[in-house]
Amino acid sequence: MIRFESVEYIYPNGIKALDKIDLEINDGEIVAIMGENGAGKTTLIKHLNGLLKPTKGKVLIDGIDTRKVTVASLSKKVGIVFQNPDDMFFSENVWEEVAFALRNFGYDEATVKRRVENAVNFMDLVNYINKSPFTLSGGEKKRLALAIVLAWSPDIIALDEPTIGQDLLQKEKLLQVIKLLNSQGKTIIVSSHDVEFIADLKPRIILMKRGRIIADGDAEEIFLNEELLRSCNLLPPQLITLSKELKFIGVKPKLYSPRELATEIMAKLQR
Amino acid sequence: MAAILQGLQFYPGDSFIHKLDPRAKLLISTTFLLITLIYVEVTVTTMIIIAEALLAAISGTMRRWVKTVYGSIPFIVAVFLMNYLVRMLIPGQPPTHIILYESFAAAYRLIALLASFSIFFLTTTPEEIGMTLTKLRIPYMYVFAFISAIRFTPILAEELQTIMDSQRSRGLELDKGNPLTRLRRYIPILVPLIVNVLRRSYELAEAMEVKCFGASKKRTYLKELKLRLKDLVVIILMLASISISLYFKFINPIKIP
Repeated sequence: MIRFESVEYIYPNGIKALDKIDLEINDGEIVAIMGENGAGKTTLIKHLNGLLKPTKGKVLIDGIDTRKVTVASLSKKVGIVFQNPDDMFFSENVWEEVAFALRNFGYDEATVKRRVENAVNFMDLVNYINKSPFTLSGGEKKRLALAIVLAWSPDIIALDEPTIGQDLLQKEKLLQVIKLLNSQGKTIIVSSHDVEFIADLKPRIILMKRGRIIADGDAEEIFLNEELLRSCNLLPPQLITLSKELKFIGVKPKLYSPRELATEIMAKLQR
Repeated sequence: MAAILQGLQFYPGDSFIHKLDPRAKLLISTTFLLITLIYVEVTVTTMIIIAEALLAAISGTMRRWVKTVYGSIPFIVAVFLMNYLVRMLIPGQPPTHIILYESFAAAYRLIALLASFSIFFLTTTPEEIGMTLTKLRIPYMYVFAFISAIRFTPILAEELQTIMDSQRSRGLELDKGNPLTRLRRYIPILVPLIVNVLRRSYELAEAMEVKCFGASKKRTYLKELKLRLKDLVVIILMLASISISLYFKFINPIKIP
């Protein structure tokens, strides 16, 4: 379980990036942190494994105060996939890149081998294990970044802006992966301003603005509140807008999946 | 280390010093530099540092300027120790207290040198530095490279932080083990940093080519530097200071306590 107790964070240059954050995330939850650039999403994520320590208040991961342990020991529990994969690659090939963290965490070579194989299989990178990470395409790099974290199988996985620069097919694959990981009991935290992607995920949404949490609720509740979204420079997902437009035939505004909405329209029209 | 870099970065301001012509400002720093080079005496160095502190106060950059001085302390200590130790090892040197005094004087002068250029960089935009260099007839190609370097330093520092965060999240512990293994731990930090820098420079080169950089031999500039009365006054003052210092050092030497 993740607990933020009135956390405040001020960067060395004086910018207050987090302000009075109180938050509880239970095991096995999928949580999306949404908000415009500079709202504090990345800062919040960096508090999860102790990269940043709160200026005031505290962050507890399974009851452990992040100020009292090393980043390395917390990272074993909380895997963070950063926005830009180019900031992490340095190995000769994909296999070594995935093995790096496992070796840092002190696994023996047999376990490293097994875990690397599992991770590259899972993320569909088997054909690339001997290639240099630098030669991969944008989508493959993102997949590798995720494979690296999945290799040590942390209980909590935080993804910072995973959909930036990804095409729809990659996003669809990512969605499946997140759902699968969650079904295995992993806690997933996604920071994003990609409304459509989050709408497909239907998570609990935490809406941030200027370092504060201004709303916390399920996806439908947040996405139906257009005024709230607009105050964060976000627009509601298209399916919500469409369901609102279809009010005249009696469709209730809701966060439908495309199929659900189609069925709903058919039902209303046949009547 | 980072404190020194901060002291060499421009911060916007509206003071008398900020508004001076960059060439006049460069001359101020150079004058201080020359005087500290000419005189080894602690009294002169102290006077120079006081004068610099005054300028820092006028320009409203006191806090950052002090930070630069503070950040340079490790270097100063290193210079002092090197001077002292090396001279202790060489036979035929003056007694210990004189070596101590002279090593201190050498280290102390370094503060004055660093501090004088800190004021220049704190109050001068990279653009102005560029214009100054062009006026000094340095080819624009090099000027551009120089100001880009200054501009990209903060970006690079930010990127270094991101890379370190990424690798620490993968269990990399930078401050573990003996110095040699610790050095090896920096490979995962340095490789992505260098790769990103190379990539960025290619992108910048392409962007510049699109904008026809270097297409015409003779460049004209939107903004031209113009010396005003106050700049001229400053320049004359500085040239006078240099002449006086030279005079009392070489032509008519005086004894300084």
